[in-house]
Amino acid sequence: MQSRDRVQLPAAGLLAVAAAVAWLRGDFFTMELLAEIAILAIFTMSLQILVGMTGMVSLGHAGFLAAGAYATAAATLFGGWPPVAALALSVVVAALLAATVGLFVIRLSGVFFIMITLAVGQMFHAYFFRAKLFGGDNGMAGTPRFDLAAVGLDSADSATFAALLLVCAALVYLLLLRLTRSPFGMMLGAIGQNEHRLASLGCPVRRYKLAAFAAAGAVAGLAGGLTAQHTGFISPDLAFWTFSGEALIIVILGGSGSLAGAAAGAALFVLLRDLLSSGSFWSGLSLPAELAAHWQLVMGLLFIVVVLAARDGLYGRLAWLIEALRSRRGAAS
Amino acid sequence: MLLDPGFLIVQTLNGLQLAALLFLLSIGLSVVFGLMNFINLAHGTLFMAGAYLALTVVRAFDSFWLALLVAPLGVAVLGGLLYLLLLRHLERADPMRQVLATFGLIFVGIEVVDLVWGSLPHTIDVPLLLAGSSTILGQVYPTYRLFIIALGVLLFVLLYAVLERTRLGAVVRAGVDNRSMVAALGINVGAVFFLVFCLGCLLAGLAGAVAAPVFSIFPGMDLSVLILALIVVVLGGPGSLKGVAVGALIIGIADTYGQVVVPEMARLTVYALMAVILLCKPAGLIPVRGVH
Repeated sequence: MQSRDRVQLPAAGLLAVAAAVAWLRGDFFTMELLAEIAILAIFTMSLQILVGMTGMVSLGHAGFLAAGAYATAAATLFGGWPPVAALALSVVVAALLAATVGLFVIRLSGVFFIMITLAVGQMFHAYFFRAKLFGGDNGMAGTPRFDLAAVGLDSADSATFAALLLVCAALVYLLLLRLTRSPFGMMLGAIGQNEHRLASLGCPVRRYKLAAFAAAGAVAGLAGGLTAQHTGFISPDLAFWTFSGEALIIVILGGSGSLAGAAAGAALFVLLRDLLSSGSFWSGLSLPAELAAHWQLVMGLLFIVVVLAARDGLYGRLAWLIEALRSRRGAAS
Repeated sequence: MLLDPGFLIVQTLNGLQLAALLFLLSIGLSVVFGLMNFINLAHGTLFMAGAYLALTVVRAFDSFWLALLVAPLGVAVLGGLLYLLLLRHLERADPMRQVLATFGLIFVGIEVVDLVWGSLPHTIDVPLLLAGSSTILGQVYPTYRLFIIALGVLLFVLLYAVLERTRLGAVVRAGVDNRSMVAALGINVGAVFFLVFCLGCLLAGLAGAVAAPVFSIFPGMDLSVLILALIVVVLGGPGSLKGVAVGALIIGIADTYGQVVVPEMARLTVYALMAVILLCKPAGLIPVRGVH
């Protein structure tokens, strides 16, 4: 745990620098990728609080992201709310929903927890798919972005909006890092390591789990609100269970337990998807460009390899490498 | 509408037909879950493979009955290979890793099917022998759907007999209860599990082939069916044959009536039902063993 902590800030710094360089040199397309990465990173970091720290493997986390997205869309389109207020509403709605759902689901653990969160996530999907108020399976289009005219910025500009989202992701990272290092976060980590021991020490485990579930839901709701603003179009697919599954894979890919790892995993996922779904990449390898349409095949195989091979993810490997270098230097001096 | 007996009979038959399919599909998932503590999300993919194999056989030989024989066997072989190559290595992994590795398989399965058979939906015709309708309880109902119900009942009886009356069944029941004890008695648990796994895949393939004439066959047809099967397993209590039957009946009926009575709620009824039952009975309706 301690060796990982030493990597936390350098890794996050590295990510921030990479994002900044990409932003400074990138074209329109890069900006879109950066925006997507920022939002996905917020989402996967929120899942990390549940999965990596508290040991609650949720396969329905996308439900709260979707709830946040629909809250922003509905508040701005039906209520005429300013986007900032709508975003706050997204967080509140998702937090309340997660707290309500959490009351029930935290009673279960292991496989049964995975299954019930899956069912709850699918309930969100089924609801939005049918709800005429929210456009049913057509979804909702036309969510406005932040109005930044007052400070002389135009959020319709992709570079401005990407920068804004990256700042949001950085803030969420700092906030969650603060959370994990607080006494509350320490308790969550301890619950993740040995729930029964904590319970026997008199810790109200369920209360902590509920709080973690609600907090993670709130941050997922934020990611949802930002999704609605970024794409301007949302559909029930946001709540579909495969999206929750992808987020889980990303968390594993990045390394269980680390926020920077979850963010790096998100970046890697978006970049890989972009790479694998471009025809020129495949023809560059002298393979048929049509493979680009089947990028999920390669991604699926990659998922399997990641789960089989990387026990502690990229981040764990990195921490291991740094520790190894450090100990060698210590031995030399 | 709800008080019209004709409507009730037809919808109940629809529910039973869905229940029979879900039963066939879920039995493998449940036994593997109960025996090996393994969640195989790719089980839906095997169902899809069954449907596509049936499609290919029907196109090549124009015989649905041959397809009904070949598709399940093909899927059993496919499942066996999958187990030997991949799943075996995950048996002792924690549930999250199992879920995610088999989650990856889902995407691979969908893309492979897309590459081989194309992305457009296909259908196959109901076999001539079962085409047309029959009259049951004064209602006209498609014969093929009655065949599905009968097949479900037949397989339940058959599996029940195997589980309760044969040596293999006894080993399986004992294995669900306490795996290490069975191994300590000198029984090759691994071999038994492999056999049971292949049998589960066979039944998933059978479900796919049987469903082919009533469902549309397309890449991704496994996604929504898989969730229903998982719900059936969790509802009934993993590892319990009776549990799967009860779970399949509940979900089949609830989903069918949910779709026609409150269409705007659709699948919501099923998910809500699962959540409620799980909260009241965390180990499922017919638990085989205590929750550890």
